[in-house]
Amino acid sequence: MKSLIIAEISKLFKQSKTYYALGCLFLIEAIVLFSAYYQGSSIIDILLDNLKKTFYLKGNLLNGNLLVYLILNMLWFHLPLILMIIISGSLTSEYRDRTIQTIMLQPVSKWKFILSKYIVAVGFTIMVVLLMAITAFVLSYGIFGKGDLVVYLNTLNFFESNDAFHRLQLAFVSGTLSMVFFSVVSLTIAVIFKEATKTWIIAAFFLIFSNVLLKVEFDNYLLDRLFFAKLNDTWQYFFYSRIEWQIIYQNSVLLILYTLLFMGTGVYLFHKKDIG
Amino acid sequence: MTRYLIMLVWLLTVCVPKLNAQSVDADLLKIKQRMDVIEQFTANLKLDVDISFINMPTKHAVMTCEKGKPTKFSSDDFVMIPKRGLDFTLNKLFEYPFITVDRGTETRNGKLYKVINVIPTDKRADFSIATLLLDTVNLRITESEINTKKDGTYILAMKYENEEMILPNRVEVSFEIEQMKIPLNFVGKGTDIDRKKMHGEGMKTGKIFLQMSNYRIKLRKAN
Repeated sequence: MKSLIIAEISKLFKQSKTYYALGCLFLIEAIVLFSAYYQGSSIIDILLDNLKKTFYLKGNLLNGNLLVYLILNMLWFHLPLILMIIISGSLTSEYRDRTIQTIMLQPVSKWKFILSKYIVAVGFTIMVVLLMAITAFVLSYGIFGKGDLVVYLNTLNFFESNDAFHRLQLAFVSGTLSMVFFSVVSLTIAVIFKEATKTWIIAAFFLIFSNVLLKVEFDNYLLDRLFFAKLNDTWQYFFYSRIEWQIIYQNSVLLILYTLLFMGTGVYLFHKKDIG
Repeated sequence: MTRYLIMLVWLLTVCVPKLNAQSVDADLLKIKQRMDVIEQFTANLKLDVDISFINMPTKHAVMTCEKGKPTKFSSDDFVMIPKRGLDFTLNKLFEYPFITVDRGTETRNGKLYKVINVIPTDKRADFSIATLLLDTVNLRITESEINTKKDGTYILAMKYENEEMILPNRVEVSFEIEQMKIPLNFVGKGTDIDRKKMHGEGMKTGKIFLQMSNYRIKLRKAN
């Protein structure tokens, strides 16, 4: 199993498309950072419009913390999309190049082979989110400095700089669970469809479908609280004045269970299917 | 005809100035004189916001108030300072000519205070009327309600550390503020939103609790 994982890591980092994808992600992050900077001033203007009538406002709200928060808002669509392409590509390319048949001729268990792909997918996703978080913090703080964070979630919530940094870190951790979920789903889709284009279309559809459903209010407790699409904005709970830890724990556990369910389904289907 | 003209001239030259001179409350003048001695002061400020749609931690700032100059604030944090409420020396209130109207007395916490209305007689004044509760014993203002021309109504309740203190150590500022409604997904293209729709959520009463400490007061030198 260990050697399978090492082989998968080696394959992932030897293929040039991984670096293209990583390059794209950092480029997106840089674009998001600068668009967030320009958007940030209009957002602050909107948020504080009526406060200016009553108060003198002193201090800079367009700072690194707001920019990291805006990056978080925008990243959770672009990041899984590219992750899904890389992760699912790690299996579809094996089908396309028929290397999977060569591997299966070796004394390798099918479930161990696919499980190693899932493990590497999870590890790679965590690594990418970690890199994105580090670059987001370094670039935002380096260019725009620190300061209080203002967030609008039905109420205007202000957080002091250190508190904001802590909450943003937790949001990245929570967001990682969502990213891992989408990566795992894309690999399961690759197991089912085998062919790259079909896999990417279905994976992209799944991501869009999840994002659309995230914003729909079902007025049904089970759907609104337990449906997987509703769990992907758990990171936002860190930006309420009082952190609802119970909801965060519940959503995180559910998302991990959904991830394991998709992973288990993928391993089962791969094990049952003929290679060819 | 000449007799009426003489009487009119007498009324305008003798009686009207007297009426004007008598129209400013004597206790308020004493308080104003006491306040006028303050040339400048600096204080540490602790701010707590109580507005239903704002969650903000306690903030700290340093305020510097100099006669005839706008009050300055410095802070490492983001702070919201109420536009009215930090004018402890009432410079803004007494900036332009005014008259006062005696409104009797009112009791607060078992103490009797004199109530007066301050009405500016100059159009340049930024308020239309102010109601002041005067502590005539300690010569200071305990409460004020200022109806501004542009920024709504502010009610200030002041508490003092001791009987001698001229500047308050606690001030509760109440004001009206329009609640806003911003589309949930304002991040993204949503920033291009109709600002008129954001409003219309009705007026809410907000409060800011100010706590002053470490006053450094510079008094006017006696001639």
